[in-house]
Amino acid sequence: MTFGYILSICTFASIYAILILGLNILTGYTKQVSLGHAAFFAIGAYTQALLVTKAGLTFWSALPLSIALSMTIGVIMGLPSLRVSDDFLVLTTIGLNFIVMGITEYFDFFGGAMGIIGITMPTLWGRPLSTSGYFAITALFLMLALCVSYLFSRTWGRLAMEATGEDEEAAQSLGINTALYKIYAFALSSTFTGLAGVLWAHSIGSVFPRNFSFEMSVLFLSMLVFGGLGTIRGAIFGAFFLYLLPECFRFIENYRMLVYGALLTMIVILQPNGMLGRGGLLDRCFSKLTKKKAENQGIL
Amino acid sequence: MRRFFSIAAIAIISICGLLSISAYAQETVKVGFIAPLTGFAAADGYSSLESAKLAVDYVNEHGGIKGKKLELVSYDDACQPDQASALTRKLIENDKVTVMISGSYSSPSRAAAVICQQAKVPFTSTYAVHPSIVEAGEYCHRIGMAAPIQGRTGGYFAVRELGAKRIALLIMNNDFGVSLAEALKETAIKLGAQIVYEKKYPLGETEFRNYLNAIKAADPDLIYAPGYYNEAANIVSQAREVGLKCWLMGDEGYDSPKFIELAGAAANGVFITTDLNRDSERPMTQFFLKNYKERTNIDADMVGASAFDAVMLVSHILNKVGTDANKIIEYWDTIENFEDCSTGPILMFQNRSAIRPMDIQIVLNNQFRYFYRYYEPEVIYLNPPSGGK
Amino acid sequence: MLQILVDAIVLGCSYALMAVGLNMVYGLLRIIHVAHAALYTLGAYVGLYCLYHFSSSLWLSLIFGAIFSALIGTLMYRIIYNPVLTAPRYVPLIAGAGVFIASQEIFRLLAGPYPYPFNASFKFLSLTHSHLRITETQMLIITFMIGAFLCLYLVINNTNLGMMWRACTQDMELAASSGINVNLIIAVNFMIGSALAGSAGVLMALYRNSVFPTMGAMVSYKAFVVVVLGGFGSIPGAAIAGILLAVAESLLGMVPLFNLPREAIAFLVMVLVLMFKPKGLFGR
Repeated sequence: MTFGYILSICTFASIYAILILGLNILTGYTKQVSLGHAAFFAIGAYTQALLVTKAGLTFWSALPLSIALSMTIGVIMGLPSLRVSDDFLVLTTIGLNFIVMGITEYFDFFGGAMGIIGITMPTLWGRPLSTSGYFAITALFLMLALCVSYLFSRTWGRLAMEATGEDEEAAQSLGINTALYKIYAFALSSTFTGLAGVLWAHSIGSVFPRNFSFEMSVLFLSMLVFGGLGTIRGAIFGAFFLYLLPECFRFIENYRMLVYGALLTMIVILQPNGMLGRGGLLDRCFSKLTKKKAENQGIL
Repeated sequence: MRRFFSIAAIAIISICGLLSISAYAQETVKVGFIAPLTGFAAADGYSSLESAKLAVDYVNEHGGIKGKKLELVSYDDACQPDQASALTRKLIENDKVTVMISGSYSSPSRAAAVICQQAKVPFTSTYAVHPSIVEAGEYCHRIGMAAPIQGRTGGYFAVRELGAKRIALLIMNNDFGVSLAEALKETAIKLGAQIVYEKKYPLGETEFRNYLNAIKAADPDLIYAPGYYNEAANIVSQAREVGLKCWLMGDEGYDSPKFIELAGAAANGVFITTDLNRDSERPMTQFFLKNYKERTNIDADMVGASAFDAVMLVSHILNKVGTDANKIIEYWDTIENFEDCSTGPILMFQNRSAIRPMDIQIVLNNQFRYFYRYYEPEVIYLNPPSGGK
Repeated sequence: MLQILVDAIVLGCSYALMAVGLNMVYGLLRIIHVAHAALYTLGAYVGLYCLYHFSSSLWLSLIFGAIFSALIGTLMYRIIYNPVLTAPRYVPLIAGAGVFIASQEIFRLLAGPYPYPFNASFKFLSLTHSHLRITETQMLIITFMIGAFLCLYLVINNTNLGMMWRACTQDMELAASSGINVNLIIAVNFMIGSALAGSAGVLMALYRNSVFPTMGAMVSYKAFVVVVLGGFGSIPGAAIAGILLAVAESLLGMVPLFNLPREAIAFLVMVLVLMFKPKGLFGR
């Protein structure tokens, strides 16, 4: 049976899907491209790791604290977005990624290069969770994240964010406090990402600084763009697809990353809006099947 | 046209996905192996995988495991812990491996160790040094040298044998460099030397001249720079360029012919602490060096030797006690004087880490040569009988 | 102290050579060209190939490395970037990242994962003094960088081609309607930038004496910092920022309590500068 393997893969894919949902709020709605999301991910994972191993809290009691702290740090790290925008913001987020990695690697409080070890599986009713139990928890959190994302996408907040992303000055002239919504996007995004970090730390059991490198950030943005920027289904699809893609290519072990890179480039060029974005390939197939009008697409 | 390409791409991916789920149906004893074949650690992954394959071929030519063939099932973890943990589950559940070997760095090895401990599958890491790997539980072992031992050996050699009084540390900032440096520092201070400079640098650093100039100002007798050969080659050649004339000492991470190739003439005179003695007369060492070169057209390194030994040891255990996990780990801890390995004989396992005599090698005429060997328990044991903690 | 400055300047020259190509691409097309690092590695590998198969002369390696990188760079523009010029900015970014990932794998598959030494023989000036020593390689890198930048500066300011290039950076459409062959200018732009990246690859391979598949990664991140500090689209800015950054890194890295790795220092400097000057130090 390959049950445990598949569960384990799906657990990680679900964790990444939660993260991409968060990235979607930031990059999809307000168009603030983040190439440093591994930093937010690291903050969630490290906070949880420290709370669990050093402060001796359990998974459940540390979780709200970690998420709250991720959100707070996310807001602080979002402040530069008020000062810089566009490509400068992209590079600032890359910078944040390297700075966070440097700090976790060089300060002994964060375990330094030795990482933090011994983040145990969460317990439920006194017993540690099994692989399938943990998958269930992750899936539950993914559902929760989906619901929150969906509900948020129906609010005025999302429209304000999209307006800010499309044209900041025009949005301002409509009376939208664009600065507030930019920070709001950072806060929401880092909350989701922090949650993903927490779940990730527990599923691996240890955190090392190099697990949150710039390459991860590139992967995250690729997942979102691949699936379709600004759509929830795109975020989920991108995360699952790009995480499972290299796994599917296991049989050509030596060439799989080459194929992965080439496919990523090809599909992004051919489908700049993502597979499930507005006008994307799967989006069109989907709308043909359900016979919906094109104008209705892209809300989900 | 665009649509065609996209559809074709999707079709290819899905077919590949289906194909990848295939099963073997053969009577073999399976050993699981993970190594980073892609990404920044690809060179070490390649060395360890090829060496492991070499050992498997050797075992199969000499009768296999009680008549059955030994089979190596290997996957690429790209040095990522999430991939390592998923793959370990795959190896245990899908491939039904009897023993797991990790030819990867510490972070993926630790992730794999935890899962093996849960699944009660014997596990061994090869060259990963992080102490937490064996701490995962009684199913987890280490073939390579534990960092405290190696750092301590370096300390004894530097202070007692070379008479260094002032030591500068230039440390690679990962678990490997840091734990070696900590051990050396402790020993050196205990033996009466002084640490005059200490700096950590990140993996992948190439420019050390500013640190080395500062070290020159500190005027040490010896520089200890724990790290891997790629960075070490730069340190060594830049140290000579800057005009540092003191002793240079490294670790098993230097132990690759690539180090000498990259550092050039500057490599001569560098000491390393290692366990692969290329001058050794022992048949298994010579067999490994010769056949590895024939197989890959590249000279063997320490990382490979460690993976080779892991497979040799595992096959020895399997031949002795069969495939029952509990018997394997029971026997594992009682092994003494295991000679069938390419590195110095494994004397025993202490706290599930291999103990062997420690070698000091020196680079002379662009070759690693035997220089000194430690047998003393106070140096090479994990928990020294006297004086230690 | 002087010695540390000189070593830092040499390092800065390598950053600047990488950054100028990125900067030219950005100035013209507003694309963050991630795959630029692949050209750096390509230059180094082509140089290595020449070294092992044709002659041990550095100059041949340098020329071939530059030419090959220029060709592949231009090809990359035609195949990868040209179709997505009108797409949102993050699309070429991801496409470039995909190319970069694939290129590292190609180098690994073709040449193996191990690093190669780069033993080229050449004669050049050097300086040895009791307080200051500049090796032949360091001297070569400084000379090459100064030469390349001078040429570039003269071409841009004093020739017809340079004038057309400047027109294109100001307004591509207007330039096209004035009869400038925009495609040619973009191609030449990529060619020059890629050739500089390729030669930087060869020079750094010589300086570090090693060539390996992932050698481009760190340099390319550094080049981004240089581009930002120098101001997007400013070529002299890139040169000055490259050297300033290397000096800042080397000096801050020596402060005992300031224990951060080189990259983190570089990006910290960048973020701080952006907070006070959101368009970079020399940006328009």
